[in-house]
Amino acid sequence: MNNQRIVELTLLLLAAFITLATVAVAAVAEGTSIEWAVIPYLALLLLLWGISHLSLRKWAPTANGLLFPIAALLQGLGVAFVLRINPDLLLRHLVWSLLATVGFIAVLAGLRDLNQLRKIQTPLGLIGVVCISIPVILKITSGEVNSSPSVQFGSVAIEPSHIGTICLVIFFGAWLASYRSRNTAEYLGEVERFDGDPSRFIPLIGAWLITSVVVIFQNNLSSAFVLVAIFLSMWWVAVGRPIDLVFFLAAVGGSILLTVGSVAEFQDRFDAWADPWSNSQFGEAITRSSFALAGGGLTGSGPGEGAAGWVAGATDQFAFVPIAEELGFMGGAAVLSSYLLLVGVGLRIATAARKEFESLLAIGIAIYFGSQAWAAIAVPLRFLPPGDLSLPFVASNGSALFACTIALALLLRISETVPVIPDRTQILSRISFKSQDTA
Amino acid sequence: MTRRLVHVGIAFLVIYGLLFFRLEMVQIIGAGNLREHPQNTREITLDFDAPRGVITTADGKTIAQTVAVSGARNRLRQYPYGSLYSHVVGFISAEHGGAGVERSHNNFLAGNELSVRIQDNRDLFVDQARTGQLKLSIRHDVQLVTRAAMAGHLGAAVVLEPTTGSVWGMWSTPNFDPNHLSSHDLQAATTDFKALDSDAVRPLTNRVEYHSSEIGSLFTIVTAAAAIESNLHDLSVSSTTSFPASQRSPAITNQDGSACGGTIKSLMVDACVTGWATIGQEIGREPMQDISNRFGLVGGDPVRTDNALRRDLKPTKLSPSAAHAAVGTAMELTPLQVAHLFATIANNGSRIQPRLVEQVRAHDGSVIHNFEPNVLNQSISKETAAKLLGLLSENVKTGTAQGLALSDVQVAGMSASRFSGSNHLWMVALAPVTRPEVVVAVLLEGDGSDDQETGEANIAAITRRITEAVLRLPNSNLRGS
Repeated sequence: MNNQRIVELTLLLLAAFITLATVAVAAVAEGTSIEWAVIPYLALLLLLWGISHLSLRKWAPTANGLLFPIAALLQGLGVAFVLRINPDLLLRHLVWSLLATVGFIAVLAGLRDLNQLRKIQTPLGLIGVVCISIPVILKITSGEVNSSPSVQFGSVAIEPSHIGTICLVIFFGAWLASYRSRNTAEYLGEVERFDGDPSRFIPLIGAWLITSVVVIFQNNLSSAFVLVAIFLSMWWVAVGRPIDLVFFLAAVGGSILLTVGSVAEFQDRFDAWADPWSNSQFGEAITRSSFALAGGGLTGSGPGEGAAGWVAGATDQFAFVPIAEELGFMGGAAVLSSYLLLVGVGLRIATAARKEFESLLAIGIAIYFGSQAWAAIAVPLRFLPPGDLSLPFVASNGSALFACTIALALLLRISETVPVIPDRTQILSRISFKSQDTA
Repeated sequence: MTRRLVHVGIAFLVIYGLLFFRLEMVQIIGAGNLREHPQNTREITLDFDAPRGVITTADGKTIAQTVAVSGARNRLRQYPYGSLYSHVVGFISAEHGGAGVERSHNNFLAGNELSVRIQDNRDLFVDQARTGQLKLSIRHDVQLVTRAAMAGHLGAAVVLEPTTGSVWGMWSTPNFDPNHLSSHDLQAATTDFKALDSDAVRPLTNRVEYHSSEIGSLFTIVTAAAAIESNLHDLSVSSTTSFPASQRSPAITNQDGSACGGTIKSLMVDACVTGWATIGQEIGREPMQDISNRFGLVGGDPVRTDNALRRDLKPTKLSPSAAHAAVGTAMELTPLQVAHLFATIANNGSRIQPRLVEQVRAHDGSVIHNFEPNVLNQSISKETAAKLLGLLSENVKTGTAQGLALSDVQVAGMSASRFSGSNHLWMVALAPVTRPEVVVAVLLEGDGSDDQETGEANIAAITRRITEAVLRLPNSNLRGS
């Protein structure tokens, strides 16, 4: 058995231990009551991790061993807090975890060659655009003033924008890869040069339009930040023309300025960011977040000793707050480091990928994780105006968990195609061993 | 491509670095400020279900206690006297934080304070509720008298003992019943809280500590003190009907347009605004600023009781023109600050921090913490204070505060009314003059239906009733506990 899977198993056991320990410490804390009923839930969660690990062994044996345990740790931490803050969410969260695991296995087992994705890049791009604009369409047709980007199916709310973002990342990666290969072909004289082709800017203009839709109709600067971060990073790595970035940023800035002046809710969110103390609609969650974080201090109040459910949205967009409150600055910094590590490993995979499409896809996914986590944590820390973005893997939001798990499977698949090159030191030791043998 | 990928990596390192930095700012460096922030109700919300000590008045009446009940939550906070102490004890609620002593002394009541938590070495191993019991300086009898006198009027009244700074009575209308907010029926509590919070007359605000109003001619007592210190008390101001306008400030005229003048004694009894303006001009702004500083009126945070929370009351400023400063233009103070100012004069110029909480006791009754009277400074000399007291006493005998006169005790006092743009009224009484035992400050927010003269008669009657009743209360009540 190869090293990556052994590393993965070890770290997974550690993640399981941390999750169970957090729950156990909170359970004995004064004033908290944890039902015995959560034990089967936790057992099932660990079982899902085990199944994911086994499917990695079967279908992607050489995939990176760090990614899955980091995601599992974050998910486990999330569950450890959700089961105290709002136990009613637990069942739904578990069903979503189950769905996510099924999707995870389906991607690993069904998608052996990522080039298959390039064949369906146009449908994927369309799906992405539709998924992100569905809330807008609904909003316009129903005429209701509701910025929540969710679609209700009975009692289950689905947020299609999460999976839409992943589709867009795939489309954009595929488009940029063919753009680069065509450029190279032009350079080598294999095809006719066609300077000033306006179609080169269609994706950038499209990206600007989608971002503007998110800003204007969802009034959500956090989602816009994620989209901008993904597009800019991929475009910069693939094309590398600074002037494009300047134009794009100026255009997005223009949309934001236009919206601030004209849309009341967007203005409200901005005001809550500028002065949360006197804004009760959006400001209260921010001020309470600050107080909760301050109450935590360096070492935190300890699991179960905080006011975990006090901040509205503590299981979703403010999921970082109860963690940093009860585990303190050290716990908060550990969560931040986990995301940074996720980005780092993702970018590392991108440099090692053999195909440009895979490399660009890896960048897109890494930045998707990194920027979404950044934007979700930036809201309680008052870097961004209030948005409704779920913390990847931690939040109880099922759609977000599903999309993130699919993206994780793609990233694992990309890392798997990297051949394992033995270190030179290993060769050396083998040589010296041989020479000793012969002596 | 790899090089540009490194750029992306560095960009993410930088923005995550910002998050680390900001998290440290919030959780470690700025945490102290945030924990004491007036809007921060986290701590008290956490302590809602915890064991909690009782709060008693100086004369031994229990005004807040926690009782055992059956249900999902097994402890209920009760306030036996309802709205009588709403602005003193405040409240504690499951979702809306708390107020008053419940909030400011939460650490003692809930036993978060180390001195309360470890009351006895043996206690470390005994599973016993370790809470602190608070004894306030408020007197139940005084509070009842104050409420009775203020019945039917919008405003605030505060009774201070000048020698110790103890608040004996603190009443603010409108008010609320804290029992409704501490209820376990969270939905009803939320409905009540929202109704109270959005009410235009602000029943949740303790007007004694958090409502500043213009004090107008009450400030002339400070001008008189400055005049005495500058040896101007024998100066006789010529009689005029108005004080001329300068390029930066409007003219000052007497309320009824009459002419007045004379020494500070006649200025006091006639409430002669133009005369005080002339005196202020004579003293100059520097000494005015200096004496206001010594009285704690300007510069730094406004005076509160020792238990009040930090709240964004804007610091008071002296008018830039000496003449306008002298007549109290734009000088806005809370009833507590006014009582505190006159208590300083009554206490021979020695300024004492007003206090509401006297003692923290352990569960067995032993004293853990004693809040002794805290002398802030000697604002003015004994002689000056005596002269000011003489002026105030003259003001009751022949001046504008004649409504305060009692048959058997000599009372000193002052009043202020007829403000432009607002119809509130002020009245302060000190009694007895020879050695003041009590200072009463009353603020009435005129409702517009009364004319000024009825209002003036009302406030004088209220202040006199409180003063008279408090002087007649047996001091033995204090030893009742």
